[in-house]
Amino acid sequence: MQNNVSPGNKKRPVLLTLIFGAISISAYLLLFMNEEWVMNNFTKGNWYAVYPIVTAFFFSFVHGVFASYFISTLGLEEKK
Amino acid sequence: MKRLILVMLLALFSMAYLNTVLAGGAPPPKDLLTGRFTQVDSRNRTAVFTKEGNKESQVLVLSVSMTEDNIPINKKVMVTLDKETGGNVIKDISIMFMDMTLQKIIALMVIGLVGGLLSGFIGSGGAFVLTPAMMSLGAPGAVAVASNMCHKFPKAMVGAYKRYKYGQVDLKLALVMAATAIIGVQMGVQVQKNILENWGNAGSNLYVSVVFVFVLIIVGGFVSYDAYKLLKNRHIEGGQKVPKMAESLMKLEIPPMMEFKVAKVRISAWVTIPIGLATGMLAATIAVGGFIGVPGMIYVVGASAVVASATELGIAFIMGAWGSIQWGLSGLIDIRLTLLILSTSLIGVQLGALGTTYVKDYMIKVVMAATMLVVAVSRGAKIPGYLSDIGWQDALDANLVFLLNNISFWALVAALSIAGMIITVAMIKGIVAHRVVGDS
Repeated sequence: MQNNVSPGNKKRPVLLTLIFGAISISAYLLLFMNEEWVMNNFTKGNWYAVYPIVTAFFFSFVHGVFASYFISTLGLEEKK
Repeated sequence: MKRLILVMLLALFSMAYLNTVLAGGAPPPKDLLTGRFTQVDSRNRTAVFTKEGNKESQVLVLSVSMTEDNIPINKKVMVTLDKETGGNVIKDISIMFMDMTLQKIIALMVIGLVGGLLSGFIGSGGAFVLTPAMMSLGAPGAVAVASNMCHKFPKAMVGAYKRYKYGQVDLKLALVMAATAIIGVQMGVQVQKNILENWGNAGSNLYVSVVFVFVLIIVGGFVSYDAYKLLKNRHIEGGQKVPKMAESLMKLEIPPMMEFKVAKVRISAWVTIPIGLATGMLAATIAVGGFIGVPGMIYVVGASAVVASATELGIAFIMGAWGSIQWGLSGLIDIRLTLLILSTSLIGVQLGALGTTYVKDYMIKVVMAATMLVVAVSRGAKIPGYLSDIGWQDALDANLVFLLNNISFWALVAALSIAGMIITVAMIKGIVAHRVVGDS
């Protein structure tokens, strides 16, 4: 999240994009490769509700940070 | 940032508490059985059913129109029982979690991207197309609503965080609106329950569609009129004007008065309460509270479109998280659907948020008005079908049903494409103009 640089001549966070991208893809692969276990345990209701909620939080953090770096890497920054 | 997270978490827990106090109106359907069929007896037309989380089995009777092939063995299903015939006759079975194919994955990702873009830009959006889209891919209604809800709160959280950084979110307004909106949701659920009891599913569908079309045409029409005026006068300098209605409401000195610093508004709590309630009631009815919340914050409370749409993301986070807990307790969230949509909507929502820093305030109103009016067409096309379902009109010709369904579907696609295109073009124009100025 390179906020203190003006558009056009900033350092793009390529490495961070790749790192968070890799973590995010691994998390997606892990979940979908264990699809059966996940679907059985995430949908039991009651206290098991923690599974989908925490998972959604986790992905929103990891994938959200990746998306943010990815957009910066593309050279898109907000107008100051 | 710490303050933002703290306030949001505090709000979240207080909402969960409030809900237990107001218990009884939770959104997940309670008359559904979820579990698995373990055996079918074709001679006696019965099936053995084991409820989720419960080792005891019960014997259910197949309805007249069912054969043993209709009973999926050892798959998680939702069963509705026919109450009129004694309580253990199966009325309807739906497989809860569909098999994923590449086409479905791509479809979910494309809708996620555009839904996210819209959400980041106008504060809400996506739900009105994501839920029907998931249903047409094969998810039962309740699972589609639950999975959409669980995708909404992380997306809104990321969007709200971005726009908070841009200084656009009024946290206090978000909390006040969310607290009243949750009460509004309970009221909306009660209305729905009454309608369901008196007029059945057809009546409920009709009610939802009529409210949808009515609200979207009135509010969407008003926003487009305002956007048109602003568009015409866009070259006139003088900054953003506070709408007349909000201006006169601000003069009302009925305590308690509330001051919203980011929105730059001082207004009586009695003005914000009805807006919050209406947002919640609409959220409970059509799943998109923002269609009332954002225009309400602009025209009644007096916030700018940028602040209103950003604040709506904060409200959506609180309400989405609260709703997800409710749906999660019933075990109806299909996390695969949620995460596939999130994979692109988290990119879309940040692009949309970024876009708001490059466009003038009226562009947000233009996109909102365009989306609302096209979605109204989509829902309007469903009304004749529901009118005949309820028996207020003769059965429709099969060709007409096909045509109306097509209109409804393509109007949704059009709504998303139009909004996506306006946002992208406005954003590119803004970025290019900014760079030209920056370079010179």
